[in-house]
Amino acid sequence: MPTREIEFRDAIREAMSEEMRRDQRVFLIGEEVAEYNGAYKVSRGMLDEFGPRRIIDTPISESGFAGLAIGAAMYGLRPIVEFMSWSFSLVAADPILNNAPKMLFMSGGQFGCPIVFRGNNGAGGQLGSTHSWCVEALYSNVPGLKIAMPSNAYDAKGLMKTAIRDDDPVFFLESERLLSLKSDVPEEEYFIPFGKAAIRREGADVTLVSWGRPVLFCMEAAETLAKEGISCEVIDGRTIRPMDWETVFASVRKTNCCVVVDQSWSFASPGSEVAAQVSQHCFDDLDHPVLRVHSDDVPAPYAQNLEQEMLPNPRKICEAVRKVTYRL
Amino acid sequence: MQAYQDKKIGGFCHVYIGQEAVAVGCVAALEPRDPLVTAYRDHGHALARGMHPKHCMAEMFGKIGGCAKGKGGSMHMFDKANNLFGGHGIVGAQCPLGAGLAFATKYQDEVINSGKSDCVTLCFLGDGALNQGALHEAMNLAGLLDLPVIYVVENNGYSMGTAIERGTTMAHKITSKAVGYGIEGLEVNGMDVVDVYVAMKDLIDRCRATSRPAFVDMRTYRYKGHSMSDPRKYRGREEEERYEVEDPIGKLEKLVKDKNYATPAEIEAIYDGVKTLVRESIAWADASPVPSLDELYHDVYVEKWGPYTGTSLPQMLTEKP
Amino acid sequence: MPISLTMPRLSDTMEVGTVIKWNVKEGDKVRSGDVLADIETDKATMEMQCFDDGTMAKIVVEAGRQVKVGTLIAMIAAKGEDPATITIPSGTAATGPVAPAAAPAATTEDADETGGRLRVSPVARRMAEDAGIDPRSIKGSGPGGRVIKRDVQAASTNVQSARTPIDTATPLALTRPQVVAMKPPTPTTPASPVAPLALGAPQGRVVALSNMRQTIARRLVESKQTIPHYQVTMRFAMDELVNQRTKLNDALAPYGVKLSVNDFLVRACALAMARNPYFNASFAGDHVVVHGEVNIGIAISLPEDRGGGLVVGVIQSADQKSLRQIAQESKYLADKARSKGLTIDEMNGATFTISNLGMYGVEHFTAIINPPNSAILACGAAVEQPVVRNHQIVAGWEMQATLSLDHRVIDGAMAAEYLRTLKELIEKPAMLLV
Repeated sequence: MPTREIEFRDAIREAMSEEMRRDQRVFLIGEEVAEYNGAYKVSRGMLDEFGPRRIIDTPISESGFAGLAIGAAMYGLRPIVEFMSWSFSLVAADPILNNAPKMLFMSGGQFGCPIVFRGNNGAGGQLGSTHSWCVEALYSNVPGLKIAMPSNAYDAKGLMKTAIRDDDPVFFLESERLLSLKSDVPEEEYFIPFGKAAIRREGADVTLVSWGRPVLFCMEAAETLAKEGISCEVIDGRTIRPMDWETVFASVRKTNCCVVVDQSWSFASPGSEVAAQVSQHCFDDLDHPVLRVHSDDVPAPYAQNLEQEMLPNPRKICEAVRKVTYRL
Repeated sequence: MQAYQDKKIGGFCHVYIGQEAVAVGCVAALEPRDPLVTAYRDHGHALARGMHPKHCMAEMFGKIGGCAKGKGGSMHMFDKANNLFGGHGIVGAQCPLGAGLAFATKYQDEVINSGKSDCVTLCFLGDGALNQGALHEAMNLAGLLDLPVIYVVENNGYSMGTAIERGTTMAHKITSKAVGYGIEGLEVNGMDVVDVYVAMKDLIDRCRATSRPAFVDMRTYRYKGHSMSDPRKYRGREEEERYEVEDPIGKLEKLVKDKNYATPAEIEAIYDGVKTLVRESIAWADASPVPSLDELYHDVYVEKWGPYTGTSLPQMLTEKP
Repeated sequence: MPISLTMPRLSDTMEVGTVIKWNVKEGDKVRSGDVLADIETDKATMEMQCFDDGTMAKIVVEAGRQVKVGTLIAMIAAKGEDPATITIPSGTAATGPVAPAAAPAATTEDADETGGRLRVSPVARRMAEDAGIDPRSIKGSGPGGRVIKRDVQAASTNVQSARTPIDTATPLALTRPQVVAMKPPTPTTPASPVAPLALGAPQGRVVALSNMRQTIARRLVESKQTIPHYQVTMRFAMDELVNQRTKLNDALAPYGVKLSVNDFLVRACALAMARNPYFNASFAGDHVVVHGEVNIGIAISLPEDRGGGLVVGVIQSADQKSLRQIAQESKYLADKARSKGLTIDEMNGATFTISNLGMYGVEHFTAIINPPNSAILACGAAVEQPVVRNHQIVAGWEMQATLSLDHRVIDGAMAAEYLRTLKELIEKPAMLLV
């Protein structure tokens, strides 16, 4: 299959555009998505192709337009809602948590909500604490929604196409820090199913589980650790809900050690969920309790050195791996 | 109400008694294809839209025969066949949904079918929702995007226990709120079903043609408390009695009698018929079984979701590709 | 701070001790190096040395009393302290050792529990069970003495070599025929796996394998499948070694020491490592680890009532040991393996292995490498046969030895080099003395 190197943001745009060409019910709505060409240029050019009826600029009114999109989804359209940052989704918390994931259940299966919410998630750009939310920990708790968190352009396109075709509400967590990263993406159409993790690096001594940007931190740490003779297996979960448990468990049974790397705060996070599941289902295969590496339990700071220290950076990952493999 | 007191209905139950003219008049002015969405005081709207009382009753009883298989309850009446989009518990949450439904019908008519927008969405809310941000964001969007949605405020003067003057600015003229968004406002006597119908028919036709939003201050009154647990200490008995004289059903009955649209015997038969229907519905709902435990995991996702209580794995039960 | 003196552990197996005699009394000044007391242990009476300067303040346990190792027996006042003010801390009857300076608070999750409870990680427990090893016999390297995967792997590596057995327990019976009878040796019966000739029909049955045997089986397959084996054979003229051996054994007889041919081979192989370090190495992916110590593993067969199979006893630092020491250690390991069983230390860390089927008359065979070694030497019997010496055909003693090698670490030329070194050491055994 011929491939070309494109940026993460282009991959997402391609996914949205392909789906919009195919299905007229799909439309994009959000702040600055149309005439501004996207606050982060993800939707560049889409207004020209699809027109203002399908690429819709909204006022700054997250609660309003998220609710509007959900109402449209109930009727049968397939909206893609862009939050300029997932930090702003908190303003729309009621519709996205109380309406979207619960509609199918409360209506006894009559009205679904085939909607995709997408936007930038995570810290690392010195944006200050109100703009640096990692919402996966907040929203993973809710049944009825799905969460996808790609770490590279190839995954971004495949997961986005699956998200748009999925009949359930999907929270698609991108990252401002990843938008410019390039990878090889096929020209032909492809999908990546939810609940299927990818093994980014094979190894024998420890299993690292992560999603999104922290996967890149894991890969960096794995390089460092390889020089110390520790061989890491890096698993990119790709989706948090649903989670590919089989791949994780098979890996832990092989390596007998597990470290989960999650950029959200540690208390009651997706990282703790993985740790709990691994501890339960791989109990007899563990050589050391499962360790987690999270962002420090503080609001995201502005100062660059503090922010870099706060993140689940490769240094912290290496420390955890050394602990878990008893190579202190 | 009786059923609630018999503990057949659990949780919250917000009865519509006294406001019937609003639902009946409005729905009569709508076409079946027009979407309707409302808040949690939704029994009237459900019945008016065409839901059989037995499904409504069964839903409140929490039985599988309910319109939402017993999983929604009194506050969440949904009826896809009759274009009833709920039944929503959070005050004001249905307002953006209403805008979204209008958006969707217009999109379907104009973008997908390349025609002209031909639907109107009715979004009901209480006067309490006037203070929620969601309504204002929705009105702003509706005005901006020319959405054919009519916000019908069932203004019964109370948000739970708070009289409207205590909670809302411009309480004496709430249509001024719509004017602020460039939206036409209308005041209607909600205690007379004919008044309601005449006013709404005209408004709905106009909105259908112009694809513009509208706002209606529907003056009405609820005879009972906000919900079953409300002892109504915030108002006096005289006030309630005053409004009971205005009872919309009584008014309609009087109108029918005066104009000889039906004989007293026919009217009697109607009442009897309704009583029978209600009794049958209760019996049917009683007989309807409770949802199977399996039902707990249906409709969480479109695919079948696996049982997860914390000791097993949260995962889809369908085969993965 | 007053110094607490506890009953010291003066031997590895000591659990209790008795002060036979105190050499100091309360009030005496003591200096580092002084012998404070004579202590009787399970093995001998030993001297208890003082490690601090100060004054003997309190004698807690009188002479003649037997107490557990670690019990407080005396208190010394440090320099500048008044011995009279020293009081015996309450709870001195405790049998545990006196607590050392507070452990660093860094590792919060590994706070030490009291009570000596066995701490094993779940996977280590399972692996130990599979290998037939009691986790209590494994020294744990994890926090708080936790036994972890790595510890069990190390322990089971040495249990798992399926070498053909060397019966080193009866050197006389095995090797004397080689010297005296001038005939190929006949196999001795007890440890021999060769069944007596049966006259009836064979009886089919199912024999369950012990965990150890299953693990041996698994390890053997793994070795054969992952290591690219190849073999190199050389013959050695054994005449001089055989003679040397007889002479030495005569001289050593009064001391109860008997050297076997295998002991010579062990030393020869060990010495050869210095010139051929890759034979003492392990393959590790993108690099080779050359080991600093030369630890020679010898295979010991176990009788059926001990579970059958075999263990590999390890002679640590064999290149530093004399023939006499090697002989004594071999015998000790074989005896212990067949009675009490070997400890992990005794089975641990072989860097090269020797397998000897000579006593069964086998002339030539090839062995399977014992991972993580890179080579193994399979020795046959020394056979008297016609040989050519100085262009003449004479009767001489010859032995064939075959190396099995890991081609990732050792190539043919290196193997030939090693065998040449060995040849020099074996054919001129005087070289083993220097």
